[in-house]
Amino acid sequence: MYRQGDVLIVPLAESAVPKIAADVASEPRDGRGRLVLALGEVTGHAHAVVGPGRLVREAGLFGPMLLHVPDGARVVHEEHAAISLPKGWYRVIRQREYVPGSVRIVAD
Amino acid sequence: MTNQGGWRATAAATGPGDRAAAEEGVRLAYRRAGLAEPERIIWTRSPREAVRTLMAAARPQDPEQDVSDPDVSDPDVSGPDTFGASVRDAVLGAPWARERARLHGELGPHGWSGHWRATGAGLWESTRTLVDRVRAGIVDELAADRATETQVRLLLLDAALGQHDAAWLCAFDSADGSPLDGLAAVARHAGWWWPYEKAAVISERPLTLHRDEAGRLDRGDGPALGYADGFELYAWRGMPVPRDFLDELTRLTPERIRGEENAELRRVMLEFYGYDRYLDESGAVPVHRDETGVLWRVQLVGDEDVVMVEVVNSTPEPDGTSRTYWLRVPPSTRTAREGVAWTFGVGAEAYEPLQQT
Repeated sequence: MYRQGDVLIVPLAESAVPKIAADVASEPRDGRGRLVLALGEVTGHAHAVVGPGRLVREAGLFGPMLLHVPDGARVVHEEHAAISLPKGWYRVIRQREYVPGSVRIVAD
Repeated sequence: MTNQGGWRATAAATGPGDRAAAEEGVRLAYRRAGLAEPERIIWTRSPREAVRTLMAAARPQDPEQDVSDPDVSDPDVSGPDTFGASVRDAVLGAPWARERARLHGELGPHGWSGHWRATGAGLWESTRTLVDRVRAGIVDELAADRATETQVRLLLLDAALGQHDAAWLCAFDSADGSPLDGLAAVARHAGWWWPYEKAAVISERPLTLHRDEAGRLDRGDGPALGYADGFELYAWRGMPVPRDFLDELTRLTPERIRGEENAELRRVMLEFYGYDRYLDESGAVPVHRDETGVLWRVQLVGDEDVVMVEVVNSTPEPDGTSRTYWLRVPPSTRTAREGVAWTFGVGAEAYEPLQQT
C-alpha cells in the first residue's frame, strides 16, 4: 500500500481484479503521455504514472480506479516525492473528507 | 480532435477576449447553419446583463412610458420582434447532433464512450457545476415573481455557453473548415451568447474566477466569480455563501462560530478560521494519537461533534517544514488510524502504507 498526498494506491491480487477491468477501455493518457490518477484543476499538478500500463475507472468521477503496471512504474507529482510501484494490479483511491450529510473529495 | 488542456484553459479563461474574432465566429456559425448573418451583434458585460437585454427586447414598447432598463448598456433594443426568434437549435443544437451521430457511427457505442472519456468527460463536471451556479445566480437576481422567473429560465435555455461549451467542443473536430469552427471561435473569445434571427447577444467572459484544486468555486475574500457589470457569485469550496458572510469571516471569534446556527455556514467559518487555531483557542485536547496522526474532537451545542484527524504531509516543503492538515471524519471515529483509514475508504486494520510521500 502506497500513499502520495491525497491518493492511496492499494495492491490487488490478480484474482481480486474486478471483471470490469477487462471490459472497460483504459483512461486516456495526458499530453505528456502519462496516466493521470488525479489532476489539480487550478495548478494543473497531477498524481501521474509514467511508463507502460493501463488505468481503468471503476466508478464515478473521483474513482476508485484500477491500475495495471506490467513492468512496474513510477508515480510522480509536482509537490510529492516519486513512488516506485512493483509490477502488478492496484486500486487507486482518492482521499475524502466527512461533511455532515455528505462526503467530499480532498484536493491537495 | 482538440487537446483537453487547451479547452480546459478556455473554460477557465477570464478577461476580455478578441471581440472581432468572436463576432466572426458568430457570423460563421450562422452561415454554417444556412442562415443569414445577424444584422446586429450586441455585447454585454455578463450573462445577467444579456438576459436583461433580452427581457427588454421582449417588452412591448409603450410610448407614454419610459420602460428602458437603466442597467441595460444598449437602450436601443426594446420593442416587439427586435431580435426575431431564437435560432439556437439551427446554429448549435443541430450541428452538434450531426457531429455526435457521425462520430457515434464511426466509433460505435463502445468507441464513442471511450472517446468521450478521453476528451470532454474530464471537463464536464466542473463546467456543468459552474454553469448551474451562474444560471441560479441570474434567476435569483432577476426573477422578481413567478412570471418573470419563467421568462428568465426560458431565456437561459436559449443560451449557447461559449467558453463553457468547452467539454463538448473538446470531443469534436472544431478546426477551421469543420462544421463547428464558428462555435469554437466564439468559445475561445467569449462567454455565453444568444443567437436570434436578427441579432446575437454576447456576454464577455468573467473578470475573475477563483476555484480550488477540485475545480469548485472558492474564495474567502471576494467574489469567486465576477463580471464587469458587478454580477458576482460568492462561494467557499463550492458552497454558495452570502456576500456579507465573507466580510464577517475576517472578524471571526470562537464564540461567534459556536453561536452560528446554520451548520453549513458554521463549517465554512471553521474552515476559514482554521481548525488548528480554533482547536487551540477553544482549549480542545487531542483524543487519540498514533503513528498515522492525531485525533481531535470539538463539542458543539445542538450539533454533532466535529471530529478531525491531524495529518502531517510526508513530503517536506521546500523550506524543510512539513505541512500539517486537518480532515474532518465521522463523529463515531475513535482513533487517529481509524480516521485516516476512513478518508481512504478502508478499514483501520487494513490501512498500512509501506511508503508515504
